[in-house]
Amino acid sequence: MSDQITFDNVSRFYGEVLGVNRVTLSIPPGITSLVGPNGSGKTTLMNLITGLVRPTAGEIRVLGISPNDPERLFHLTGYSTQFDSFPRGMTGTELVSSYLRLAGHSDVEARRIANASIERVGLAGAADRKVAGYSKGMRQRIKLAQAIAHNPRVLVLDEPLNGLDPLVRAETLGLFRQFASEGRHVIVSSHVLHEVDLFSDQVILLSSGYVVAEGQIRAVRGEIREFPMQVAIRCDKPAALAAQVFAQDSVVEARLHPDGHGLLIRTRDADRFYKLMNQIALSGIEIETVAPADDSVNSVYEYLVGNEEATR
Amino acid sequence: MGKWISQVQTVIGLEIRKTFFSRRGLWVYLLAFAPALLWFVHSLDAIREQARWRELANQEKKVSSAALRSITEGMTKEEVEAKLGEPYAKMARVTRRGDEISSYRYTDGESDVILVMFNGKIGNVIRAEPFTISRDSLNFATVFQFFYLRFAIFFGCVGIFTNLFRAEMLEKSLHFYLLSPIRREVLLVGKYLAGLIATVTIFTVGTALQLLAVAWHFQADELNQYLANGGWGEVGAYLGVTALACLGYGSVFLTAGMVFRNPIIPAVVVLQWELANLFLPGFLKKISVIFYLQSLCPVVAQPDQDIPIPLRILSSAAEPVGAVAAITGLAIVTLAVLAFAANQARKLEINYSTD
Repeated sequence: MSDQITFDNVSRFYGEVLGVNRVTLSIPPGITSLVGPNGSGKTTLMNLITGLVRPTAGEIRVLGISPNDPERLFHLTGYSTQFDSFPRGMTGTELVSSYLRLAGHSDVEARRIANASIERVGLAGAADRKVAGYSKGMRQRIKLAQAIAHNPRVLVLDEPLNGLDPLVRAETLGLFRQFASEGRHVIVSSHVLHEVDLFSDQVILLSSGYVVAEGQIRAVRGEIREFPMQVAIRCDKPAALAAQVFAQDSVVEARLHPDGHGLLIRTRDADRFYKLMNQIALSGIEIETVAPADDSVNSVYEYLVGNEEATR
Repeated sequence: MGKWISQVQTVIGLEIRKTFFSRRGLWVYLLAFAPALLWFVHSLDAIREQARWRELANQEKKVSSAALRSITEGMTKEEVEAKLGEPYAKMARVTRRGDEISSYRYTDGESDVILVMFNGKIGNVIRAEPFTISRDSLNFATVFQFFYLRFAIFFGCVGIFTNLFRAEMLEKSLHFYLLSPIRREVLLVGKYLAGLIATVTIFTVGTALQLLAVAWHFQADELNQYLANGGWGEVGAYLGVTALACLGYGSVFLTAGMVFRNPIIPAVVVLQWELANLFLPGFLKKISVIFYLQSLCPVVAQPDQDIPIPLRILSSAAEPVGAVAAITGLAIVTLAVLAFAANQARKLEINYSTD
């Protein structure tokens, strides 16, 4: 069985409206973030993975399984959707255990697993309350509990951090990391770009239904040649450092920080620049920190798509 | 297979509360049980009338049935009084034009005859039919076939079956099922059976209550004799036809709820199709539910000859087929519709924004 989620030239149109167009992807295990503003096609991609919508053209495989085969697909996949509605009248435990019973568990077993899953998302105290009375954050968590209850290999989460308070957010991110560390897929959508940096192993950048870039965020950044990499350096002699780095022809700009203890470099060859920094560190300039300044998802998205969409 | 059965049971368990106790579906109970209430009122009326006739008989105000039958239109007041004596009740009034209108009421102890006279001559003889099992059986058959089957069960199935998918699309909760490890066909069967359990229960109870209500005013020995001579078969046939109606209409409206955003439109179209069944050529007649149901009804209904001609035409019975052929035909229609629904379920997408 393949361990990849693959899209082969997939397009999806809603009438004349474009959902996604000509998407070809191969998503490995780990945390993958779908990034883009509202309407960029994130949810469409997730709905395509889970068979909630069908491609107009192309083919999708989830670990080798077609999304048209829900019986097999959802033994391996859990999906926490953006939809905030639930079957009427159910408590948290009933919601999750009903799902597990459909997955083939006995009633007793389903309740036991459901309670464990609900506890895992920190909602044990509200498990017997009606879901209709849950807050936004609790709804997010009960959806997550349902998605992870059957221990899926692929977890698809549409804006899962929306409405969560900071503590629960941190716990939830920990859960994603744990899943990813076990070799599973965690596919997360977010339109909050700076948040994605915190937890993603790889990103898929979407704009207006097109995949504009994919891969590890630093690698994506490195491939954007028309915008030289920015590196921020804190050191005791920024002027001397600036003179030395300018000797390298790939450095196109060096700007001194107003406080006199820093320097912002723009270079077309980050690898060569970092090697140079090692040499400079041995030459007597005391370097406190060297940190990339624009390899965040936000910067990358801005370079690729434009400032307007990145900040929308 | 065992897993699918277990999944179907789970879906039924999840759906059954919604199908029986949906707030939107309370009117289904009204449709199912209102006719029983009307039959109870009819029985109460029969009991009251029969008591009144007995009372008149005890007061020696009854006349012989033969003498009553001999009265014809055109006879004068004097001739009537000579044959029947004084009526037990009479009423007279004079119109503005000076015509005298009077009515005489006689009874033979089993029913009433009202003689309406114009200027001293009988213009109209109104005979109230006696309350017999054969008469009520025919009345029940008419109400059952032309109201209960064609409207009550029909719209009850619209209310319950169209909501099985459509209501969850409107409430944006259908994804719960579509994200479960269950084949769409299995989901469809589970929902269909949940709807079927609800409608069959509600409407067969409704039919049984109607039969009880109709039978209520008859004497026990009269009733036992009727039941022993094929009556139980008729009762079974009515209950069976009710269940089969739910089976057939249920499949149609489950599909309509999945395919159409507004299921009322297909419901009206299907209603027209079912009503137009009489005028369709033979092979088209068989693509309907009412054709088979009417064939299975134990008593041939005879609509009131006084109703307007267009209504009489609409309520005409289809040519009957044998019971086995009718049940087989209905099963084929149901299975064909469900097969189409299963195909639609496989293609079903969640796009709540357009639903």
